[in-house]
Amino acid sequence: MIIENSLPVLLSRLDFAWITTMHILWTPLTIGMSWLLFFLEIAWLRTGDERWYKLNRFFEKIFIINFGAGVATGVTMEMAFGILYGPFSQAAGPFFGNILGFETITAFMYEAGFIGLMVFGWGKVSKGMHAFATFNVGLSSSLSAMWILVANSWMQTPNGVVLKDGLFQVENWWHAILNDNFIWGFPHMWVATVELSLFVMAGVSAWFILKNRNADLFTKMLKPTLLALLIVTPIQIFIGDSVGKDVADTQPTSLAAMEGHYHTYLPDGKPNTSWNLIAIPNANNDGNLFQISIPHVLSLLETHTWDGVVKGMDQFAPEDRPDVWVPFYSFRVMVAIGFFLFFVALWGNWLRLRGKLSAESLRKSPWFLRAVIFSAFLPYLAIWTGWWVREIGRQPWVVYGQMRTYQGVSHMSVAQEVIWFAGYIVFELLVWAGAWYFFARVIAKGVDGIAPSDQLFHHGEEGDAHAGGGHAQASFAKPMLKAER
Amino acid sequence: MDFTHDIVRITSALSTWWWILLGLMFLFYIALDGADLGAGIFALFSKDEDERGAIMASMAGFWDGNETWLVVAGGVLFGAFPLVYGSAFNYLMIPLMIALWAIIMRAVAFEFHVHARSSRKVWGWFFAIGSLLAPFFAGVALGAALQGFPMENGLAMAHIAGRDYTTPVMHFSGNALTWLTPFSIWTGFGAVIAAGLAGGLYLCARFVPGDVIHQRAKGWTSLFSLLALAAIVVTLVWSYAIFPWAAAKWTGPNWWVWAAWIVIVLFFAFKSMSNHSAGHNFVALLWGEGVVVLLWAAMWATMYPYIVPGTWTIQEAANPANSLAVFTLFMTGFVPIMIMYNWYQIWVFRGRFTKKSIYAAH
Repeated sequence: MIIENSLPVLLSRLDFAWITTMHILWTPLTIGMSWLLFFLEIAWLRTGDERWYKLNRFFEKIFIINFGAGVATGVTMEMAFGILYGPFSQAAGPFFGNILGFETITAFMYEAGFIGLMVFGWGKVSKGMHAFATFNVGLSSSLSAMWILVANSWMQTPNGVVLKDGLFQVENWWHAILNDNFIWGFPHMWVATVELSLFVMAGVSAWFILKNRNADLFTKMLKPTLLALLIVTPIQIFIGDSVGKDVADTQPTSLAAMEGHYHTYLPDGKPNTSWNLIAIPNANNDGNLFQISIPHVLSLLETHTWDGVVKGMDQFAPEDRPDVWVPFYSFRVMVAIGFFLFFVALWGNWLRLRGKLSAESLRKSPWFLRAVIFSAFLPYLAIWTGWWVREIGRQPWVVYGQMRTYQGVSHMSVAQEVIWFAGYIVFELLVWAGAWYFFARVIAKGVDGIAPSDQLFHHGEEGDAHAGGGHAQASFAKPMLKAER
Repeated sequence: MDFTHDIVRITSALSTWWWILLGLMFLFYIALDGADLGAGIFALFSKDEDERGAIMASMAGFWDGNETWLVVAGGVLFGAFPLVYGSAFNYLMIPLMIALWAIIMRAVAFEFHVHARSSRKVWGWFFAIGSLLAPFFAGVALGAALQGFPMENGLAMAHIAGRDYTTPVMHFSGNALTWLTPFSIWTGFGAVIAAGLAGGLYLCARFVPGDVIHQRAKGWTSLFSLLALAAIVVTLVWSYAIFPWAAAKWTGPNWWVWAAWIVIVLFFAFKSMSNHSAGHNFVALLWGEGVVVLLWAAMWATMYPYIVPGTWTIQEAANPANSLAVFTLFMTGFVPIMIMYNWYQIWVFRGRFTKKSIYAAH
């Protein structure tokens, strides 16, 4: 057993895995949807079509609940490196700490500085300023994703640094920032946020069409969303493939785990070229108990040759091998979802080509709508499984090839680790249950209660104003300075 | 030419610069979010959900920005002083963890309360309790940090049969409860009192005079002004007694600076209280925040040249010169920009409200 699987280290890994897994549940929708809301707002401003405004305000309600959940789980992340992985944070500080500092200053705070304007600023600031605020939320959240991916991909491929006096000192900032894994890793994550957001919006729209509530309005939404997905889903498959090749080049242990590939050569000395569809790894982590495999596919995938050699687990010392179970199956789930989502996008646009993408004909054969609703959940699972492949595949290293995970763990007792885990199970599940419950509430409430946009900027008594918008006249600063009597 | 000497001097200058900015980021957090948290403590005693809802709605547009100064402070600590970040947070695991849980409770309460029907009460209480626990445990963490903590090098995860691992980097080596002392518990209460006062001043400035929330906040603020004065005295005397580094500075050759500082603090406190009595609510809030600024600056100056007293000096804890230089080049310019857009966001949501108007259709 590798030392990273001994209870104290395993618990610290679970502590961190749990809070990151529960944080990535929220951020993709914030990142992707902020851009989609910006497009809806621009569509409204340019065409004056009230329907875009309505859709914008409706999806914004989901957005803000999601944003709150992201903040709630995200503040912990900022502290958790130091709490759970103190020695890692110290050693990686000269690069990793800098990048996290960049993230909080140029992204986290940037986002917080405009989110209030975006959500509560309707009617308080001009239309142009509001659109500007939405744009800034989009840009800042994407910047946040970029910096976090810089930091994480550097842990996968720690370029541009040298370990001196116990610290990873930076030799070349460009190599460290634009490290091998980042080049495809960041686009893969960013496109995932867009894909997830498009499917969530498509799924919600499909639900309304299925229930015959504001069906025409949501069909209007569904059409451009499906068209965008026709572009995004194959791009994501292509990027994913590029990430895979990159992992094969730079993290051979991770690739071997992902593919359950133990033996580099067959007993007869020829290269083992088989790709495993299903595998059951043995307890010693040195072979599969059972596997269904297809010859030559692995070599084709990874080396683009018929008989190319792909390094298996047997090329690495037993203590340097990651576990296979999670990376192997997570990878397959992610890939399957990626292709299924592509298929759904094709299906929808094929219906459109045949002129069947109207509310009425969609309801007549509801299987497409059901498939889209189902597909709104799948990107979440794909993102989870993708990150599990990435993080578990990197083991037993916290900084690949340079610092073992057990060396980076904080000084703490098993009891501390258990308290953290138990507490965060309660709080994160509470956030999850609450947010999804209120998503459902917002969706059930629908769009009919949303006031027309002209009420935002012309309203009566100031006393009727409320914080959710419609408060055009600022109750200016003067009465705050001199108290009224 | 002696380049090494030059590099040491550059590191020293840049690390001191980031130590000042770190103090500024923490100051923004306690000054701005302190008021929001204090308003939440006030909401513990609200009689109905509409009042709690009105208090939450009054800060809906900027609570996230205010709270994020804490994240920025954490980011600056990680970016400029990772050796402190990686050891102090390890030391402060339990108090930080509970403060983070409290922050989670508050954050979700903000988003859920307005949408809830039957569960409104639950989220109202989450908001209030979160607002109490966050400053209490943040205060505990601060007091604990002032006391310093034990360190050693080598493998931090002690009870595993690791292979020999050596590193010159010093990590935290105490136990789970090293932070727990009478002083750190006291600073927790001190933080709650300070937040309570800021929250009272904020609510007085935020709600229309005569409104039910304004009425109650007035009495609350008067009470907390006195509590805060007492807390300041207790904290100063206690610190003088147990922290030799503080006592040496306060009674050293520059004792008159510290004495003058106290007089200025008292003057600000007096102005805040008299403006509050006269009904100049916003002015009272500003004078009150002035007290926070003065005391925080004094604490930071007392700690110099330490970043964690007796444990990490600014110099020892700083990143290598190369990293500090990059951080300075690319991040310093963003500090005024952050201040500008945060100021704008708060300014947009200025003005007074009444309990009824604000929570109507939020």
